Amino acid sequence: MAQWLNTGRFYRMTAALIAVAACGMGYAEESAAGLLPMIKKHTTLTSTIPDNGDLNPYAVVVAPATVGKLTQGDVLITNFNNTTNLQGTGTTIVDYNPSTKRLTTFAQLSHELPGCPGGVGLGTALAVLKSGWVVVGSTPSNDGLTDSKGAGCLIVLDANGKVNQVVADELINDPWGNMAVVDNGTTATLFLSNAGFGVGSANGKPPVVNKATVLRVELSIPEGKAPQITSKTVVADGFGEQADKSVFLVGPTGLALGEGGKLYVSDALANRIVVIDDALHRTSSGGTGSVVTEGGMLSRPLAMTTTPLGHLLVTNGLNGKVVEIDPVAGKQLYSRWIDANKAQTPPGNGDLFGLAMTPDGRGFYYVEDDVNTLVLAQ
Amino acid sequence: MHRTTGRKPRWSAIWACLALLSASALAEELDRSIQAAPIGQWTGWRNRGNLLGDMGGLRTALGRDGITLGITETSEYLGNVSGGVQHGFYYDGLTTVTLGVDAARAFGIADGSFNISALHVHGSNLSALNLNTLQTASGIEADRGARLWELWYQQGFLNNHVDLKLGQQSIDQEFMVSQYSGLFVNTMMGWPAVPSYDMPAGGPAYPMSAVGARLRVRPTGALTLLTGVYDGDPTAAGDGNKHGTAFSLHGGALWVTELQYSNQPSDGAVESGDQVSSSLPGTYKLGFWYHNASFADQRWGVDGRSLADPASQGAAEQHRGNYSVYAVADQLVWEDKPGSQQGLGVFARAMAAPGDRNQLSFSINTGLVLKEPFQGRDNDSVGLGLGYARVGSGARALDRDAVQFSGVNTPVRSGETFVEATYQYQVNPWWQVQGDVQYVVNPGAGIVNPNNASGTQKIGNELVLGVRTNISF
Repeated sequence: MAQWLNTGRFYRMTAALIAVAACGMGYAEESAAGLLPMIKKHTTLTSTIPDNGDLNPYAVVVAPATVGKLTQGDVLITNFNNTTNLQGTGTTIVDYNPSTKRLTTFAQLSHELPGCPGGVGLGTALAVLKSGWVVVGSTPSNDGLTDSKGAGCLIVLDANGKVNQVVADELINDPWGNMAVVDNGTTATLFLSNAGFGVGSANGKPPVVNKATVLRVELSIPEGKAPQITSKTVVADGFGEQADKSVFLVGPTGLALGEGGKLYVSDALANRIVVIDDALHRTSSGGTGSVVTEGGMLSRPLAMTTTPLGHLLVTNGLNGKVVEIDPVAGKQLYSRWIDANKAQTPPGNGDLFGLAMTPDGRGFYYVEDDVNTLVLAQ
Repeated sequence: MHRTTGRKPRWSAIWACLALLSASALAEELDRSIQAAPIGQWTGWRNRGNLLGDMGGLRTALGRDGITLGITETSEYLGNVSGGVQHGFYYDGLTTVTLGVDAARAFGIADGSFNISALHVHGSNLSALNLNTLQTASGIEADRGARLWELWYQQGFLNNHVDLKLGQQSIDQEFMVSQYSGLFVNTMMGWPAVPSYDMPAGGPAYPMSAVGARLRVRPTGALTLLTGVYDGDPTAAGDGNKHGTAFSLHGGALWVTELQYSNQPSDGAVESGDQVSSSLPGTYKLGFWYHNASFADQRWGVDGRSLADPASQGAAEQHRGNYSVYAVADQLVWEDKPGSQQGLGVFARAMAAPGDRNQLSFSINTGLVLKEPFQGRDNDSVGLGLGYARVGSGARALDRDAVQFSGVNTPVRSGETFVEATYQYQVNPWWQVQGDVQYVVNPGAGIVNPNNASGTQKIGNELVLGVRTNISF
């Protein structure tokens, strides 16, 4: 036995076994090449309800820099409902600091903000720039339903949460989904979806109106001065949008930028993810783009973000799952139940909306709007 | 002919499209011209969850300290148009006030919550006045007056995989609960017949509650274990505990344990493309309770004679302890499409207890509930249910003994059955109106009609009609 152990054959066999095991591990790692299987737990970080009682957290964005009231790494969250839970009347952006674990109110706007048709109801469109400027979309209502909704606007806030300017025109009608952002410091490109063009009342069986757009907004941000919009271009249109008694609107909600200026859009009503090519530079609409993936684990896809591997993470509106997609392969890789609240059917139905990657890319923040909390999946 | 008939749908489709386009264009125009209205106390009052909204700022002010205030009123007008001991309709109602405190916000204690609630029961009790049923017509019928209901603190541990609740609790809020049967008006669709008649004072369930401790463990996402120990008789102190403030520690102890299984995915479950779970949601529960007090035999006296025997001393034989096993199933069997409101659920709940020491030895509730029965009525529900309660073997034998000893052919109790059909209409998020029909066969399981002089006639089968409304303030 001892003699056999000393032979070169033993070492060769051991080396071969290690190589096989390593290959196996490599295969296993590759087969699990995604973020969702690596997540260990979901930790509730804070209630998202500010002092004025606003409810229904939607947008989740991580501050990229320390400016004014913002600290790099802070998580900013919009509230869509007021204290009586009327949709389209929430006026606050709250700020959760992961270091101090404290929640503060970053901005509290007036519902009757001048220049914003229909007033203020803060939805999922939120961008925080390195310069400290914050751009947030309003999808307002006067009574919690689309019957009294306005076209809303884009609101530019300074780093202390004060309104600097209000932007409203015929290209903006209920900025609804999360923004995709390219931030170069002195310039920035924002993409936002508009889901309010002509949707009308939510009574009865509201029709699907194929008028939703994705708008590219170019900003110039001179040093020490307020950002100026230099151009607006509709890069996609014709998406379905629909008034809804329970969730106000259903329409394209998730926007995420990929390699080569590809813009991925979650088309909620068609239950699919589409791609708009050359979204950073195109001068005309790409329509509803081309389909990346549809159906499968998607169930009314909403807000979307990108993982360090270039995968898309998208929350589902009709269950408590987040879905990971390889957009290049057009393949749905994994889904993970991040809200399995059995009070709804299916579990977590209607609970999820916004999400954002953590700065280290190892996890993501998301909101549970049924219980008004911010959760970390990591 | 073909051309003519072919054109009609095309023109109608074109007109429909034009109408839609013009409506859509008009809506866009309105979107741009609408002014923001000030948000006040009555803004959007039809669309919000509570009639009184923010109560002039009170709810927001309480919310800053983690306090939530709930006020609900259930009112109903129920009556029997046939059968029973007399005919007629009565009003009854229930006001519930609940104060919840999120300990994290109030005291910085994560995963803790405090709850206190009070009840005010008003109106008349149809079942007691007209029906004399075992399975009483309405779950809110109770003795009139105001009372403290629950008063407890709950603390979660291990990321809420374990939680402990201490204080005065009404166990019908957690044990033996059927998700779908809660739609119905009949009492036994809520807290079932066996514990209502076999536990002292009907058990610590609405409108009663008892001091106790309850542990909940969620070892996996699919399994939940509930176990609790409570004072065995909430009426054993303070002159019957009429106001819920006696905090009785007398009358023995009640242990309840329930294992729950859900076929739905658990938090953190990961699926890949070929492993997607798609089963319709179902919950299954298996439970057991034990009470350590003494329970009187339903037939035999301590002297070995039937209690119906004129020679009996009248003192019942005593049994040490009492117990029951039960099972509850709730299963969605059809849904229009995943995530839609429209779906058909079925439920069944059965339980048994020993027949020698209990008035009832068996009860069952079962039925169907269809959510969104009509398109656009997302939050309406229609239900058809059935309940049955069986009198225990000892009590039935006692009735037979009575016939034998008296020579009078008085009825022998057996079982009571009711069928209930109901439609709950959601007027708006804070207001429901519910129409209800119940038909009871063999009321009281066949007891003598007190209006019958001969003492041999049963109460006639009853048709109960009514309307209930629930308002959240």
